[in-house]
Parts: sequence; C-alpha cells; structure tokens
Amino acid sequence: MPMMEILALCMIGAFFLLLLAGVPVAICLGVTGLAFGYAGFGGMLFTLMPSRIFGVVTNYTLLALPLFIFMGIMLEKSRIAEDLLEVIGLAMGGLRGGMALAIILVGVLMGAASGVVGATVVTVGLIALSPLLRRGYDTGVAAGIICASGTLGQIIPPSLVLILLADIMGESVGTLFAAALFPGLMLAGLFVAYILILGIVSPDSVPAIPAEERAEVSGRDLAVRLVKVVLPPIALIALVLGSIIGGVAAPTEAASMGAFGALVLAALAGRLNWPTLRETVRSAFVTSAMVFLILIFAQPFGLAFRGLGGERLVQDAFGAMPGGLNGQLLFLMILLFVLGFFLEWIEISYIALPLFLPVFLASGVDMAWIAILVGMNLQTSFLTPPFGWALFFLKGVAPPEVKTSQIYRGVLPFIAIQLFGLVLVFLFPGLALWLPEAIGW
Amino acid sequence: QDSFNWRMTNAYGPGSPFYVEGPGSPTDFCDKVAAMSGGRLQIQHFAAGELIPALEGFDAVRGGAVQMNAANAYFWAGRIPAAQYFTTVPFGMNFQGMNAWLYHGGGMELWDELYAPLGLKALPMGNTGVQMTGWFREPIESVADFQDLKMRIPGLAGKVYAELGVDVRLLPGGEIFPALERGVIDAAEFVGPYQDRRLGLQNAASYYYTTGWAEPSNTTELLIGLEAWNSLPADLQAIVTAAATACNLESHAWSEAVNGEAMTDLVENQGVIANVLPPEVVAELKSVTETVLADAAAADPDLQRVHDSYMGFMAEHKTWAALSEKVLFEL
Amino acid sequence: MTVFLKTVADIASGIVRIIGQVTAWSGLALVLLVAFNVLGRYLFNFGTVGLQELEWHVLAVSALFGMSYCLNQGGEVRVDIYYGRMGPRAQAAVDLFSSIALVVVSLIIAWLSIGFVEQSYSIGEGSADPGGLTHRYILKACIPVAFLLLALQALAMTCEAAVRLLTPKTEA
Ligand code: NA
Ligand code: NA
Repeated sequence: MPMMEILALCMIGAFFLLLLAGVPVAICLGVTGLAFGYAGFGGMLFTLMPSRIFGVVTNYTLLALPLFIFMGIMLEKSRIAEDLLEVIGLAMGGLRGGMALAIILVGVLMGAASGVVGATVVTVGLIALSPLLRRGYDTGVAAGIICASGTLGQIIPPSLVLILLADIMGESVGTLFAAALFPGLMLAGLFVAYILILGIVSPDSVPAIPAEERAEVSGRDLAVRLVKVVLPPIALIALVLGSIIGGVAAPTEAASMGAFGALVLAALAGRLNWPTLRETVRSAFVTSAMVFLILIFAQPFGLAFRGLGGERLVQDAFGAMPGGLNGQLLFLMILLFVLGFFLEWIEISYIALPLFLPVFLASGVDMAWIAILVGMNLQTSFLTPPFGWALFFLKGVAPPEVKTSQIYRGVLPFIAIQLFGLVLVFLFPGLALWLPEAIGW
Repeated sequence: QDSFNWRMTNAYGPGSPFYVEGPGSPTDFCDKVAAMSGGRLQIQHFAAGELIPALEGFDAVRGGAVQMNAANAYFWAGRIPAAQYFTTVPFGMNFQGMNAWLYHGGGMELWDELYAPLGLKALPMGNTGVQMTGWFREPIESVADFQDLKMRIPGLAGKVYAELGVDVRLLPGGEIFPALERGVIDAAEFVGPYQDRRLGLQNAASYYYTTGWAEPSNTTELLIGLEAWNSLPADLQAIVTAAATACNLESHAWSEAVNGEAMTDLVENQGVIANVLPPEVVAELKSVTETVLADAAAADPDLQRVHDSYMGFMAEHKTWAALSEKVLFEL
Repeated sequence: MTVFLKTVADIASGIVRIIGQVTAWSGLALVLLVAFNVLGRYLFNFGTVGLQELEWHVLAVSALFGMSYCLNQGGEVRVDIYYGRMGPRAQAAVDLFSSIALVVVSLIIAWLSIGFVEQSYSIGEGSADPGGLTHRYILKACIPVAFLLLALQALAMTCEAAVRLLTPKTEA
C-alpha cells in the first residue's frame, strides 16, 4: 500500500483517538487534516482551503440552517414549543409515547419544509428535548427519537441529498423527490410502530402524563389549550410548507417564512420584548455557529483525505466487489455505511458513487430506485456513531447532563429500523418507483 | 523524459454529461492527453465539490495548487468583465462563427493578452452548440408578457430581460425544478434539450422557446496556469492544444446528436410545446442587448477592445453565412 | 503567573464576546432580508439581484464570526464518553491541548487566506452577474479576520485551561 494511503488511514485513526479523548469535534477535524495532509503532500494543496471555506459559508442552500434555527429558538424562548408538547401529551391521554409520536410528526412536517441536514435536527432538538426529559422519558429514547425524526428530512422531499444524487446519477430532481416520498413516510411509520411497541414493552421509558395530572384538566379546558398552543407552531410549519407548495418561495428561502412568522407570532402574543429578542438573536447565532464550526473545520479534513488519495482506498475496496447485481448493491450499501462512520455525506457521494455508476447503468436497473437506496443509507449515516452529524448537532443543543454515550445508545434501535426500511425498499422497489410512475415524472 | 502529474478541477458536478463525462468532455480530455503522451502527462480530474467548490477554479489555478480548470469563461465576469465574450454573447455567433473568431479572427490572441498578466492561459475545449431560450409556464405573446415575469436567468441575458421588466431570480441548479414546478418562478433558462430533460424541466413547464438568442453557442474554457504551461516541453504543449481542439469538435458533435433525439422526444412524447418567440419580441430583445453590451463595453477598456474585435468579426462572418449556411438551410 | 494568564484570558474573551454580541444581529438581519426578498417578490413584484446576493453575503459574515462567539459561549461539541469520567486536571490537559491546537490551526488558516483575499483585491473582484454586489474582497477578507478572532478566543481558552492545570487541587 502506498505511503499516502497509509497516511490517510492514520489520519482517520488519529481523528478517532482525539475524538474519543474528548477534543471538540471541530478541532479534531482541523488538526488531523492539517497535520496528516502536510506530512503527506506539503503545503501547496492547502492554499485551496480558503476556497473551500468560502464555498461553505456562501453556500446558498445552507441559508435554511440559520433561518430554521432562528425559528426553533424563537419557539423555545417564547415557551410556545414547551406548551405544545405538554398539551399534546395531555391530549394523548393514557397512551404511552404520545409526546414522542408528536415529535415524529413534527419531524415529518419539518422534513417536508427543509432539506438541510443540521436544520431539522437542531430545530427539533431545541424544541423537544427538554420537555421530553422533564416528562420522564428515557434520555436515550428521547435523543434517539429526535435524531431519527430530525434526519427524516433527508429523505422526505425537498432534500439536499436527493438534489446531489440527482446530479450525480443523471435522474431528474422531480423523479427522485417523488420516489422518496413513500419510503420517507414509511420510515416515519416504522418509528411510530417502534414507539408504540416500546410503550408496551418498556412503559417507563416513554411514560404518559400521569392520570391524576390529566384529571386536573377538563376536556373543555384541554380543547381550548389545544387550539391556543397547538395552532401557532403548526401554523408556522404550514406557512413554510405552504409557501413552497403555493409557489411563494423556493425550498431554501421558504425557511425565512418560518423564522419571520415566529417573530410575528411572538409579537402578536405580546412576548416580543427587547430582552427576549436579544437572547433569541444571541443563542440562534451560537447554535448556527455550532453547526458551521463543524462544517468549516471539516474542510481541512476533506481536503487532506482527497490529497492523500483517500478515494483510492475506496477504489481498492471496489476491486474486491462481488458479481451479480444484488451482491454489488449490498456491497455498495455496506461501503456507504462504513464510510458514514467518518466522512460526511457529500464526500461519500462524490467518492463512492462515480465508481459504482457504470456498473449499475450497465445492469439496466432503475437508477431512481438505486438513488433512494443510497439516500436512505446516507440518512442512516447521519446517525451512526462515533461520527454522526445528527448526534453532534443534538449534543450541541442538549443540556450538559445529556451524555454522548446516551445519545449513541439511544440511536441504535433507530439505525436498526432504518436498515430494516432500507431492506424493505430493496425487496419491494415499487415503494420508491410507484409514485414517479403514477404521476409521470 | 520528464513526466508530469497535474490536477484539473471542474466547475461542474460529478457525472454531468458533456461538462464532466462523455465524448469531448474534460475527463475525456484528460484521457486523450494521457494516451497521446504515452502517460507522460497525467491529469487527475476533480469535479466540482471534490477538491474545491464549483466556481473557485480560477483562483485555484492562479494560486498554482492546480494546473488546469474546466469551466466557462463568463463565470469570471466579476473578475475580468471581458471574459464573457470568450463563452458566448447574446445575439452573437454560433459554433462555426465563434471558432472562426477564436482560432483565426484574433479571439485567442485577445484571450491570451487578457489572461497573461494574471499568470493564466486559456484554450477552447468544448461547445454545447445552440442553446434554448428556456422554459415558460405561460406562452409569451408580446413584450408586455415579460412585465413582472419571474425568471431564473443568470448573466448578461438576465440584465437584458430585466430591462424589459423581468424579475430576475438567481437559483442554484437543484432548485430550478421545484421552484418552476410550483410557480415560484415563471420561467427558467438552463442549457438545451438533452440537459434540460435530464433536469426534468418538461414536468414543470410546457412552453419551450427556441432559439438560444442568449447563448447562440457556449464555449468550454480550459484554463491553464501559465507557469505550469511553460514548464511543459513543446511536444506536450502541442498534445494539450491538439486534445483541446479535438474535444471542442467532439463535444459539439455529441451535443448535436443527443439534442436532436431529446428535442424530438420532448415534443412527440412528453407534450412539450416548442415555439419561436414572436418576431417583435426578438427584435426588442435584440435592441436592448445592443444597448446593454455597448454600455458594458464603455465602462471597461479591455471589454471594449474585445467587443470591437468580436462585433467586427461577426459582421463579416454574417455576410458570408447569409450567403452560405442560411441559403443551405433554406434549400 | 496564573494572574497574568487570567488577565490575558479575560481580555481576549472580552473582545470576542463584544464582537460576537454585535455580529449576532446578522442572524436577525438574515431573517428579515430573506423574508423581505420572498414577500417583496410575491406581493409587489419587487426584487433586485443585489439584494438576493446580499443573502449569502450576510450568511457568510454570520457563519464566520459565529465561530469564535460559539466557543466563547461554550458551544463546542465533543464526545464525552471518556472525557466525562476524567478528573478535572486530566480534563484541563485535554482542553489545553485542544485550545493550543486551535490557536495553531486558526492562525494557519488565517495566514493561508491572505493570498486568497489578495487575489480578489488585485483584480477588484465583484459579482459575475450584472446588478450584483461589488467589492467581493471585503467579504473574502472576513475569512482571515474571523480566523484571527478565533485564534484570539483559542488563546483565551488556552490561558484558562493552563490556569486550571497550574492551580493545585483546592476545589471544594
Ligand atoms: Na426534506
Ligand atoms: Na455517521
């Protein structure tokens, strides 16, 4: 194995060591990238780094990130979100896991309103984690359901992942959006089923609101509160979704309708005073920066991985690929899954897919189906420890007492569910291909 | 004999036909050069996003970290206003005329002259041929229909439309479809039938106007660092030049072939209504274009020089084309 | 020694905090700007190329200057599986390593981006779209400035971690 590839492997190893030692994620990425890159190919290639950083911070599609985070913080600060989950919990009555079901719904709606990785996880995390913990949910389950629901947005259209895959695989964006709809909703359905089962098997991890507390609230009272607190946030998400469907805003800019709407809502409720606004502005700034810090510091790492010929490691693995379409697909899925342990999804797509494309094109299978399988697989990679974007983003907005290990443990069942969903789409391609066929996209 | 390992970045994403893959594409260019040089000049190709973001190739080559970049010169219009003319000019020349100007009408000399002070050199390495006016959700019957029309259209053509009342929207490629499909925008320009069908734009709008007044041809630019170029022995320089010229021809031939098939498919099988803009609309666009181009040229001496060269050549070439190709088409 | 380190840490993080509190408003500006562009276009058919480009200009400022303020407010994300079980001095050692590494990385990136800004400045780079924003080198200059600010924040964290490491075990 050439020196450069050995260095690439060492870089990944060093990254994991630092990560586990507790060095902040961004610093792990930056320092290992610079050090091993410099050792391998010297300084010249690093003159490209400012270009890469400029590309990240001026990336139009990432606009959705600060906009959604602003909306999330606004909802959190004005206590709208907290009331929302409380009331839903009350309304669900004795049903265990009721609040978790509400979060899945929020994940689906937010996912339909945004296509950016961090935006949905951070927003759902901001509004949902504390209320769940306060109501006695198991920390792992709460973290898992938030990460999993938050990443649903990666497969439910619109989705950055699908837009990129469309580009690489030569499918139209519309076809992939249509193909992804049922698999995305199916995943949400599987999450719901899991929560309901958990409510029976392990009632303490997803408790319902105690009966005596529910008894204190009359049905009439509850109905009034439902209208008062459930309506506004739903209206916000509907505003974002509606502005996309109604042709008012393109997917990225639609997020501004949510953020602006949250401002207006808080003003109407008389909760928009100077201290609240200042606090919202500051913590939205910190939270967006938390995501951007990781994205920006991923650049030296990505650059070094490329410069060290890391993609050749993948090519070498490709040489060992089995024959037969199913074997090849399985191999691709495993490769994507493994790469997801330490690379971000864009790098993964760029490195692995071009290798496999000719194979699949030659086999004549429907590329939209392959794209959905890849998309679901990438979505799962957001959740896989130790390097899972969704996990870091949730950690970034979680109270300090929530430990990484709890988050890691919490997402495991959801990773399993997603893999199960992946198998279903693999066995029944119609899940993905029926809709685009039916509407002629 | 010396051998060279170079890097080429590209403004287009992995997998794009014509822009990255396929006959006469940049990756094909790299393969050709490797084959022709017996492996002495190896060029590793990086699509947009693999090494650097899409539009950062100019600085990357200038800084020397990569030796080549594939893009369109008009992406650099914010850095060198005259660069626009080396890609395309609204109401300008088609493939034949553009190449005639570049290779034998003084175009490439001007290109070199502009780029050399920045340590750069460029060669034409591809051409899409005639593009299309674009996709419209509603038919265009008069200039008045442009009023408040929301259109995704970048560059100089955007400026021309804006003068006629169009609300110009800048959207990344991936958001064109959802925005057009939902009516956030009323119209969008992308490339030509083959590429547009790949984006699925026929499912978002039904009126497909022709012809590409905004981009009557579109040259792919091979950007080379001058220092790297000068380090090449003469035979490798000749190989690079020949491979670029071969790609210029081959990519155009390929575009002509696939666009014919795609256009037929769109019109016959996918319900697309292909139409020419009404003559008075075209006339209006043309007159505004002249003003816009003249104003831009007046603001920048380099641009003025290139503009004069291009327009002078075009006038002559048009006289010839009117008596040759135009007649031929009408036979 | 520890007094000196504490003073440096306080001054450095004070500067970062104040700049952060000011630049934080770019987030609100972004919300209002994008909403204005969307509603202006939909309701009044109003919109300009410059205002659309301003969106990602503000985004860039927000993302770049957010980095240092984020760390200033303790917003870093780490895996705490082992870190959480370490004693205070071991944690201080990890923090000291992390923040020194960050000082170095930030300074290198700041230094690398000077050439990037110069390239842009030397040709008066502006938007490639007519009607777009000019003076792009100002935006690009935010990269070295923001990374210098990040280095300053990292310096504050270095001093603070050193103080924790140097202080004998006397916590209550
Ligand atoms: Na989505
Ligand atoms: Na992962």
